[in-house]
Amino acid sequence: MFESVCFYLCGGLMLLGGIMTVASRSAVASAVWLIFAFLNAAGVYALLSAPFLAILQVLVYAGAIMVLFLFVIMMLHGPVMNEDLRSRSRWFWPALALPLAAIAGSAVTLLGRARGGAFPAPAPHGFGRAEQVAALLLDRYLLAFELISIVLLVAIIGALSLGLREGRRT
Amino acid sequence: MTIGLTHYLVLATAVFLTGLSGVLVRRNSLIVLMSIELMLCAGNIVFAAFSRWLGDASGHVFVLMSFAVAAAEAAIGLAILVEIHRLRRSVNLDDLKTLTE
Repeated sequence: MFESVCFYLCGGLMLLGGIMTVASRSAVASAVWLIFAFLNAAGVYALLSAPFLAILQVLVYAGAIMVLFLFVIMMLHGPVMNEDLRSRSRWFWPALALPLAAIAGSAVTLLGRARGGAFPAPAPHGFGRAEQVAALLLDRYLLAFELISIVLLVAIIGALSLGLREGRRT
Repeated sequence: MTIGLTHYLVLATAVFLTGLSGVLVRRNSLIVLMSIELMLCAGNIVFAAFSRWLGDASGHVFVLMSFAVAAAEAAIGLAILVEIHRLRRSVNLDDLKTLTE
């Protein structure tokens, strides 16, 4: 019962945050709503017995990435960022119908089933803790771990070169 | 009804399609980037849900990979965006059609 309440609270607020991200007129409001959605996503991870991912979601997404977004929004001009939502693109109605149709379709599927794919309860001891994820990361997925560090290194070099090029011109 | 795999999949689908509609509708490229982050987050929830369903924490490792890719994407995307803003004084996607003309 407690789990249901937590799921509907976190999930509903996450969906609300996502919808407000897409629907907000100003970019700053969008970014703040997206932070709200990510914090609720951390709650969803905690419900899925993934405490390590929940902490990383708050640290990396809501902390680092969204601060970067807010920094860029503040750096660019304020008036440029606002967008007249009334000038709709031709994708407006399909894009509005898409989530509504999906939610309706999924809800019908959900109601049609007797049990909503209940999880094997309870999770194994220590499931999703930092120790277990670290053991997997440094053992079975060591190659992927090394490759993703190269991806991050290339991203750093790319961002730096873009920034330096701009500094040379002015 | 107890909360199971289907509930999490429905939530992830709804969030993903919300992000997709943001990518399709919004013309502000910063909000388009944020919508892409929202879609990545929905994919991560599916990984975590199936990880719990199978009782195997490998999915958590893939969510970590996705975090790294999202961080790289945000850093590069925002750097390109700042550069475009310096050149064009605009971040509106309707103004960035040079390649199609």
